[in-house]
Amino acid sequence: MTLPIFYILAMLSVFCALMVVVARKPVHSVLYLIACFFTIAGHYLMLNAQFLFAVHIIVYAGAIMVLFLFVIMLLNLNLESEPRKSVIARVAAVSTAGLLFLVLLAAVKSAEPVILDTSASGVGLVRHVGLKLYNEYMMPFEVSALLFLTAMVGAVKLGRKEATHS
Amino acid sequence: MQSLLVNHYIILATILFTIGVLGVLIRRNAIIVFMCIELMLNAVNLLLVTFSAMHNEAGGQVFVFFIMAVAAAEVAVGLAILVMIYRNVRSVDINRLNRIRW
Amino acid sequence: MSTPADYLPIAMMFVVASGFVLFTIFVTHLLGPRRKTEVKLEPFECGIESQENARMPFSIKYFLVAILFVLFDVEIIFMYPWAVNFKDMGMFGFVEMLIFLSLFLVGFTYIIRRGALKWE
Repeated sequence: MTLPIFYILAMLSVFCALMVVVARKPVHSVLYLIACFFTIAGHYLMLNAQFLFAVHIIVYAGAIMVLFLFVIMLLNLNLESEPRKSVIARVAAVSTAGLLFLVLLAAVKSAEPVILDTSASGVGLVRHVGLKLYNEYMMPFEVSALLFLTAMVGAVKLGRKEATHS
Repeated sequence: MQSLLVNHYIILATILFTIGVLGVLIRRNAIIVFMCIELMLNAVNLLLVTFSAMHNEAGGQVFVFFIMAVAAAEVAVGLAILVMIYRNVRSVDINRLNRIRW
Repeated sequence: MSTPADYLPIAMMFVVASGFVLFTIFVTHLLGPRRKTEVKLEPFECGIESQENARMPFSIKYFLVAILFVLFDVEIIFMYPWAVNFKDMGMFGFVEMLIFLSLFLVGFTYIIRRGALKWE
């Protein structure tokens, strides 16, 4: 039952991810990436990570991608056709990525198959993830607040500089 | 009937990661390069969630949660930098950003 | 305890909702009369005459607000698992969150002081 769903979702993910790279217009790339994130959220649901499913949609599809869309609108890139890299650079890029894929695949190939149990499990519920987060991972949690503080200061600095110039 | 294996998810994450690498190498628009980095982060997230489900352990999901938080901060500052670069150079073409000076 | 199968109704709802939208869009194109006059093809903007390309560049001030929104959005998401476990963790969790929030408050006062949210 789960295998066909996995294949459908996986094909959608890979298709959308490829379209992000292939699409000519930046806006289309962003929209395909949003679609790709929704399919990945579907995978999270299949893997019993219900909390991450919600967070993924709120943070990635809801906030980060909106910011990307915002920047593309702000810079007015929709009409500008992006020049392509030279043929040599593109061939090199594709072969490098292909080789990387082969190396990773070779590493996976020797792994023995493990059946993934997607039946009932409470691991991904908000309660369990939260308990883990606030007990075992207390320090990273507090440090992440520092990270956000830095990000805020950086964003305000970078965003305000223009206003002082003009 | 065949059942869902952990290996399926590893291969899917590998494919997504490789597509992200390909995008970083092949595109010239810095915003798209940034988006491909997000794609790579998500491939890793998917892998972590898979192993979390495999071991029935919430630790991996906490890691993914932190990655998402860091990604949000990274995107906020990164895009602010990109907008600043665009204001100064009038371009986000990475081939033209090779001589950023103060 | 919950399984992926529990989310089947939600998936079905999504399918039905998007199916309805696609169906209505398709059927109105099929059934409706086609009058392609210039006025009809104009985008509708509540009676105001349309001005220029929809993707015109806008002020950078919106962008700063959007960035700050993303950061505080993640802060709120950190509070969901805390709120669910609030009673179990007691004072410890409360102090933990207090430190977290105080750091955010420092950032917030910085933003206010710098006038980043001011809209002149």
